[in-house]
Amino acid sequence: MNEQISALIDDEMNAADAAHIITAIQSSSAAADAWHQYHLIGDAMRGTNALSAGFKQNLMDKLELEPTVLSPKPLLDHAAEVSPPNHKLPAAWSIAASFAAVMVVGWVALQQQTQSDNVLPTASVAQNAAAAAAIPAEYLLAHQATAPSGSTYYIQSVSYSE
Amino acid sequence: MLRFFLACVLASGAVSAHAAVDADVWQVLQKAAIAARALSYQGIFVCQIGAQSKSVQITHMYSNKGEFARNVMLDGPPRELLSQGNDLVIYNQKNEKVIIEKRRGQNMFPAILPTNLESIKASYHLRSADVERVAGRQAQMLLLESKDDLRYSYRLWIDTEYGLLLKSVMYNKQNEIIETIAFSQIGLFNTAGLDWFQPKIDNKKNYVMEDEVETAVDNGSATVWTIKELPAGYRKVDQMIRMVHGNALPVTHMVFSDGLASVSLFIEPVSKGTKIKAGAKPIHNIVGNTSFYSSVTDGHQVTVVGEVPQATVAQIANAVVFKK
Repeated sequence: MNEQISALIDDEMNAADAAHIITAIQSSSAAADAWHQYHLIGDAMRGTNALSAGFKQNLMDKLELEPTVLSPKPLLDHAAEVSPPNHKLPAAWSIAASFAAVMVVGWVALQQQTQSDNVLPTASVAQNAAAAAAIPAEYLLAHQATAPSGSTYYIQSVSYSE
Repeated sequence: MLRFFLACVLASGAVSAHAAVDADVWQVLQKAAIAARALSYQGIFVCQIGAQSKSVQITHMYSNKGEFARNVMLDGPPRELLSQGNDLVIYNQKNEKVIIEKRRGQNMFPAILPTNLESIKASYHLRSADVERVAGRQAQMLLLESKDDLRYSYRLWIDTEYGLLLKSVMYNKQNEIIETIAFSQIGLFNTAGLDWFQPKIDNKKNYVMEDEVETAVDNGSATVWTIKELPAGYRKVDQMIRMVHGNALPVTHMVFSDGLASVSLFIEPVSKGTKIKAGAKPIHNIVGNTSFYSSVTDGHQVTVVGEVPQATVAQIANAVVFKK
């Protein structure tokens, strides 16, 4: 069954011949899971997103038009210390958060998106090893992403996390 | 193409690894560079840097459809690497999420050697040593020794039958071991199918694509600096403009390599948004296999990171000269 689902996704099977598979996907949760898994794998390998390339820009353009909520501002220098990186749109952050949640691949994500407080992977950098403490993680990550060595991907001294 | 290349190399010599003389030793290394890409194999290797150690299960297949590999981390947090050609996707499990990262799939053990060894020949000596047993296989040990203090040296164990790199030990000039990667189990993998080439998916978790870091092509125009003399054997292999986390302004990123070791150079104007790492004195560090150097000159922060000795990162940082 899974091979047939895979063939259907890869356009290797005529849609007319696939009626029984679609019925099976609808009725069997295992088949439905396989359907979503194969799409997830395919999307990740191709690097395609679930949304069009212009979606993010359109959303950001619309956000620009949103009224800004004015509220008392913390002291500037203090704000610089505590605010997280990538805070160009602080007022829009929660909206950007729901946008990013849409990017989550698969139905699990779509279900969870309806739940509130879906916290996102922000761009914060976590050091999961004391060994990395002496080298700023952001430069190490940029180096490793562009010029990986033989062991880079196996022993990651730093990585992104939520 | 690779298969053709491998066939040529295999045919070109009843190269007896045991009695390897100078030219033949390079031939053994050449074969290892190709075998890691053109053979299909499955095994477990252990990667160790400093106090950190990870076991990795590797499945590698080369067929007429191309090169495929799946690496599963057996220690620590669940993580999987799937690569097809030079495209690599990492499934990184973090708490209730799985972060999907896209990376460059290059230089991954056992394919740490470039298929073109010319640049390596310029900076390293190669000679053969003993035949030893690694992962149940007979292996020819080769010593790939740096000609100077600007890069680390390697001991490499190469399967006498298949030519595959079985073990790599990187060490510094004090003979201290910096990094060890070695198969503990290895076998050829005979399959035509790709049913193994998929990650283990957990339906209970969220799968999230990592935000891609913005990079742009850098044509190098309008710069206020020049790169003077680079350390011997290193040449520029990449240049781009990128965002670095926590910095408001884009950073110029250049990569230098001697064929084996890579070094990144970052140059950015110091502004209000810059996270300044260095004060009046440069910061100079070495952690595990990686050296780091950062200094501020003429209103610019220069940062160098790479799996090389400290002298090399310092030399590259000092090669940056700002036009007055």
